[in-house]
Amino acid sequence: MRTYETIYIVHPEIVGDGYQAIVEKFKGILEDLKANVLKVDEWGTRKLAYPVKKQARGTYVLMAYEAAADVIAELERRMRIDENVIKFQTVLLENGYQETAPAAGETEGAEDAEEEVEDNE
Amino acid sequence: MSYPNKPSRPAAPRRRFTRRKGCRFCGDKTLKIDYKEIRTLRYFVSERGKIVPRRISGNCAIHQRKITAAIKRARNIALLPFTSAHNAD
Repeated sequence: MRTYETIYIVHPEIVGDGYQAIVEKFKGILEDLKANVLKVDEWGTRKLAYPVKKQARGTYVLMAYEAAADVIAELERRMRIDENVIKFQTVLLENGYQETAPAAGETEGAEDAEEEVEDNE
Repeated sequence: MSYPNKPSRPAAPRRRFTRRKGCRFCGDKTLKIDYKEIRTLRYFVSERGKIVPRRISGNCAIHQRKITAAIKRARNIALLPFTSAHNAD
């Protein structure tokens, strides 16, 4: 078992229940694959440094977990299938999992406000 | 920073431009290099999005390598730009 960290970007137009379903789905996939999920961190919607799949913004989710090496291949395969995940990256944490302050975006406040507006629709 | 008029005094007291020398990560061990902390990494990226070289950033070799790896990871997941050219609308 090794400690990994997967960060993925959900399509910005997926909000509310649809978004929660995606977060739960990938958490469930990890649990099905007998991975020990340490943390699921939702960063919220923020601006991307460059457009991805023609989207200028995206919703970041960070998952830290302990898993065997072959779990990564399966998780990434499923992420590729899911069209709502526009980008993902898995990193091996060599020193194990350490609690760090979540990286707050410079425009976090503005982003959150907009997200609420979209929820109300 | 060499002044041709005063080459014989290496530690001259009247150095006009004092640039911070030395690796800031070696000086402060609590600083962590992490691809998710773009606020730290921004300091080592030029306006064009290029990685600032070691001779300018002042980092030691070990930490410059870590910074470089972190910036590349951050670029991969769209936290940092590859270049300023592809600015979104």
